Amino acid sequence: MSASVAGRLGAAPGSAGFRVGIVILAVAVLVAVLGPSLVPHDPLAQALAARNAPPDAVHWLGRDHLGRDIAARLAAGTRISLLVALGATLLSVVLGAGLGLVAEATGRWASFAVFGAFDMVRALPSILLALTLMVALGVGTAPLVLALGIAFAPHMAMVARAAWRRETASGYVAAARVMGAAKLATLGRHILPNIAGALVTQAAIVVPRAITTESVLSFFGLGLAPETPSWGRMISGAARFAESAPHAVLAPVAALCVVTLGFALVGDRLRLALDPLRERGR
Amino acid sequence: MSSTFHASRRGLIGGAAAMAGLGLLDHLPGSGARAQGARSGTVKVAVLGLDTADPHRHTGSIAVQQVYVETLTSIADDGTVKPFLATSWEVSPDGRRYVFTIREGVRFHNGRVMTAEDVRANAVRVRDQVRGGWLSAPMKLVEKLEAPDARTFVMTMQEPYGPLLNLLSELWIVAPESEGWAQTIRTPIGTGPFRFGRWTPNVSFHAPAFEQYWQSGLPRAEAVEFSLRDDSDLSLPLRAGDLHIARIGYDQLAAVKADPNLEVQFMKDTTWWFWSFNNRAPRKPFDDLRVRRAVALMLDKTAFMRFVAGDAGVVTNQMAAPGQFFWDKAMHDAYAHARPNEARARALLAEAGVDPARTPCRIVSWQSTYPEIAVQAMRQLGFQVEHLALDDIGAQRRLGQYDWDLAPFASGPRADIFLRFIRLMSDGPNVGLWGGTRDAEFDALVKQAVAAVDLGERRRFYLAAWQRAIDNYYTVVIGHAPEPIANRRAVTGYSPGFTWGQHRVDGGLAHASLGVRS
Repeated sequence: MSASVAGRLGAAPGSAGFRVGIVILAVAVLVAVLGPSLVPHDPLAQALAARNAPPDAVHWLGRDHLGRDIAARLAAGTRISLLVALGATLLSVVLGAGLGLVAEATGRWASFAVFGAFDMVRALPSILLALTLMVALGVGTAPLVLALGIAFAPHMAMVARAAWRRETASGYVAAARVMGAAKLATLGRHILPNIAGALVTQAAIVVPRAITTESVLSFFGLGLAPETPSWGRMISGAARFAESAPHAVLAPVAALCVVTLGFALVGDRLRLALDPLRERGR
Repeated sequence: MSSTFHASRRGLIGGAAAMAGLGLLDHLPGSGARAQGARSGTVKVAVLGLDTADPHRHTGSIAVQQVYVETLTSIADDGTVKPFLATSWEVSPDGRRYVFTIREGVRFHNGRVMTAEDVRANAVRVRDQVRGGWLSAPMKLVEKLEAPDARTFVMTMQEPYGPLLNLLSELWIVAPESEGWAQTIRTPIGTGPFRFGRWTPNVSFHAPAFEQYWQSGLPRAEAVEFSLRDDSDLSLPLRAGDLHIARIGYDQLAAVKADPNLEVQFMKDTTWWFWSFNNRAPRKPFDDLRVRRAVALMLDKTAFMRFVAGDAGVVTNQMAAPGQFFWDKAMHDAYAHARPNEARARALLAEAGVDPARTPCRIVSWQSTYPEIAVQAMRQLGFQVEHLALDDIGAQRRLGQYDWDLAPFASGPRADIFLRFIRLMSDGPNVGLWGGTRDAEFDALVKQAVAAVDLGERRRFYLAAWQRAIDNYYTVVIGHAPEPIANRRAVTGYSPGFTWGQHRVDGGLAHASLGVRS
């Protein structure tokens, strides 16, 4: 992040929201890093006699349907959920936006081939595609990140292409070409900074979707093992006890909402800050 | 041996008075018919699925089809076999020849009267065309199938076959003129209280009442409609009024009991929970009996059963539930692993030279919650656990690969104890859940039990076979519990039976209707 971008992030109107977003994400990252050491309980240890016990002084967020400490699972789950979600989002940006933009910049036939492939992939719902990939790749964290990254890549590619086409119609791109800039150089030096905001916004949307999709895949036995503490797993496990033990489902849902809000606030400000037009006051 | 029934007048009057006092008469078969006389309403039900329209080719799900096809015999609430489309039977002293008297006046849904020849045609079809399934074993032993007259059907076996009468409660009689008879029946014409109506696989099945049904006054409802969707929590549509009768989990029991519009009943036979080892191709060190014993000692069976079934769960080490004929108290009392003992489990592992921290343990299960207890127990012991939680088909496929170590599963009620024993036999159906046991001595004992004409002798052979299963740790039984079924109070006359079948000689959906209680 350049100094000017950092300056714009702090100075822009509504930057209080950005700061709140940064605090939320910083806390989430801190919890993800420190994880189990924050809560003095084993996230896997069961106490079947204390199923769905409400919060108390020892178990701050109560226990789940297997008597496991919810706070410990939430902390451990933060690491897994963020790792999966951020990894998958990053992969979808690289695969989707990267491939798509390079294909657009290279020429009509490359664009036809790459986006034809993306269209075929988009014909399948993301969840179905991810399911199919998980069957082929096997269970585990790395296959899960790969499957989700591939599943969300077409969406990122479409956003990138729309932004690319908008920008290539602009005068500054035409000027760069008249001055003899190569296509890929124009992409990297001139167009990419102008479409980064759109990609960041899309990434902020993909992160929470990746978290929930992980829970669906895990439910089908193709994601993480059922006992693995991820937010999605926690929500799907506790949802059936929402009436009798609302605390068990509220904790991971609240975490998911807050982190989603954090990504949205930061993403929104990043989009504005990365927009070169704002820098020129246009 | 012909079936006869005796009931004293005083006993009946006293029993009826007591049941009236308890408000149980509403659940007696036929009570609603007496009160109302006319059919009313469409009863909406969700229990299990319907996997084929061909009753002879089902893959284990029998709850739905029993409303449109019937059988010679029926499993009553107390688990005994009773006459149904047959009015009586006689078994020869050598246990090989069964002579059935076919009920008069039974009509198929196309209006034609059922004869003994129709029964014979169905038995021939199952014997010659159907591969696999519960009836394949006895049908291999059939020597002759005869229908000497319109009301007599004779089955002659090559050797005595004890469970035959119970298993015939799943030989459904379909009119041979049914569409698809030569291959796969698509529109079955049965004799049941409801006709085969609209079927949308995995969505719904609608069965209208059969006006010429042979039991006077039945069915009491205009139609039944089954939801076939694979919903995990059926208590929600039940509470919302979208369903009238549904199976529920113990997790939902408290919420259902708290709803004044609902009542909970229990099935008469039990589901049982167990941990199976991979017996067909056991991986080291799980082929060592000391390791198997250590695993058995790690599980807190009492806590497990309380988790899955609350107060209704009982811990035992047998396939039969406590109190049933084939359950043995001495064997139960001698259960070495009724209580968990982690220290002893660790000592056994050490004795076997096993370092669990360096030992992978692959666990295959359904996507239920209870396998997580097994997984945690193994983790607590220190094993490197890989847990594969799969859907039904995925689990069956994976179990068949025999590249796993432990399989915590459950199995539902059956028409005969033999249908539990057969799953541990070398050539049994769906043996993966029990680790694909191959034990010639176990097989021989079960075959001796099946061939035993005397019931006491049969029990002795079954128990000897089960003792072998215990000694070799083929599977570790955790316990039993009956499945809860809930219904809206607007439903009268309904009660769950011994098995999942929704129509039987002494109850089921034919007796259910939507009435208003005072």
